[in-house]
Amino acid sequence: MTASPSLLELQSGFFDAIFGRSNAIERWVDGAGLEPAARLRIYRNAVASTQIEALRSAYPAALALVGEDFFDAAATRFRLRHPSTSGNLQDFGKAFPEFLANMPEAGALDYLADVARLDWLRQESALAADVAPLDGNAMHTTLAANPARLWLSLHPSLRLLSSQYAALAIWQYSQAPTSTGLKLDGSGQRVIVWRAGQQVAMAELDAASFVFVEALADHSDIDSAHMLALAADNDFDLAACLRSLIAQDLISAYCTGDNTDAIRNQACY
Amino acid sequence: MSDHRTKTAHPIPAAAGIGLRSPHIQRVLAERPVIPWLEVHSENFFAAGGVMLQVAEQLRVDYPLSFHGVGLSLGSADALDVRHLSILRGLVHRFEPGFVSDHICWGAIGGVHSNDLLPMPCTEDALDLMVERVQQVQDALGREFLVENVSSYLQFHDAPMSEWEFVAELVRRSGCGLLLDINNVYVNSINHGFDALTYLHAMPGRAVRELHLAGFTRKELAMPLLIDTHSAPVDAQVWALYAEAVRLFGAKPTLIEWDQDIPELEVLLAEASRAQAIADDCLAIPA
Repeated sequence: MTASPSLLELQSGFFDAIFGRSNAIERWVDGAGLEPAARLRIYRNAVASTQIEALRSAYPAALALVGEDFFDAAATRFRLRHPSTSGNLQDFGKAFPEFLANMPEAGALDYLADVARLDWLRQESALAADVAPLDGNAMHTTLAANPARLWLSLHPSLRLLSSQYAALAIWQYSQAPTSTGLKLDGSGQRVIVWRAGQQVAMAELDAASFVFVEALADHSDIDSAHMLALAADNDFDLAACLRSLIAQDLISAYCTGDNTDAIRNQACY
Repeated sequence: MSDHRTKTAHPIPAAAGIGLRSPHIQRVLAERPVIPWLEVHSENFFAAGGVMLQVAEQLRVDYPLSFHGVGLSLGSADALDVRHLSILRGLVHRFEPGFVSDHICWGAIGGVHSNDLLPMPCTEDALDLMVERVQQVQDALGREFLVENVSSYLQFHDAPMSEWEFVAELVRRSGCGLLLDINNVYVNSINHGFDALTYLHAMPGRAVRELHLAGFTRKELAMPLLIDTHSAPVDAQVWALYAEAVRLFGAKPTLIEWDQDIPELEVLLAEASRAQAIADDCLAIPA
């Protein structure tokens, strides 16, 4: 028998066994009445089951759409291809929607990946930072002074998804199916996800509002975002859109800048 | 070695509490039942914001809290996950829990995580590493850290130490506290064929801060293995071992853990009452 493995070799070999790559570690396992492989299998099964359960919990709509057997088979393949990289299971599975999108067996469910993306955005939103709500009166005073440029910071829990499928309607149906079924007209949906109080909320946005919020999230100032929104829809109502964002506490801060060197001379509130 | 005597606003009493899991959170917040203390899984609060942090703020008003981790992977041969540790430190500073703990195990290598509690070989090298890591954690947190013995389903050849020697030596050399899981001692005594009392008697009594109790399931292989599923009531043999632990170490904060097939809150509270009654009985002065 060769020299005892180092701790690093032992742990690497243990991972090879539980991720199904090699059983070389078996000779260092004391069977004590059982096959070493049977003892390693307990760990292999436990690790798989914990990680699959974490994906089930992060992807409730995807699970409901494909059923447990299909989901577990997909999760089993996924966790070997994209292993967990955190001791916190809430971090595990971000790449799962993309994996589903490229999974040949899921080809018939072309909307599945976007519904799964919504699952993940909901989890991100739920865990995002808290911020104190904005003082609306102070903002009105600042706006009255007519600053040259104005930037808005959106709430950390805000997420956006643009889907060519009715991802929101399908997500909602998957969690509360009705006997009448789901009637879709083939159009896509643009979805905003945020934390309202302590609950994750979702709503559909029109094309121009989506472009506007997306531009703000991308750090455009209001005028530039407004321009992009008008390009998407000439009838875009800036005031109405801002009012709904403020009403949902989705604007958490704002910055103003002067004409000459707007970005360097920002004042943030 | 630095001094890690812990100052906390919410000390954990030497009484029987329960592990609080998500199905019972709303009810506990709404009804605030009398429970001497609660333990939560640290990683469930690894969030920048949101509902779980609000839950912790509310719980700590009425209950002493213990933060029990499952993901630090103290025994990884390559590196300690400093990101994980830094998030834990943030939580500990914010909530000032009575205890902070994790396991004598490893779970990750090369940045890949199994998200499981894998057994350490009981070797000098592994012990040296664990001592260094526990000290690193205590220095980062600026307080005493508790380590817990885990259930295991295999042992490695060529291990010069018994598990109880490894645990006792780790606690002695690192100056940490011990979270002694009575169920895990029993499970391992069956799985590896040793006398559970030998294990208990080898524990450094003055470092025992907390005791864990839980239920296991039995797996019928060529020889039966006990699996630490936390899915059942505490076994009669484990209650007997608990009584022995109380006689050896005195009354200690004791916790009922139940993580799968979680029953009604009343069932957990009844298990905690039973633990309390056994501890009271063991320590009663004979008339």
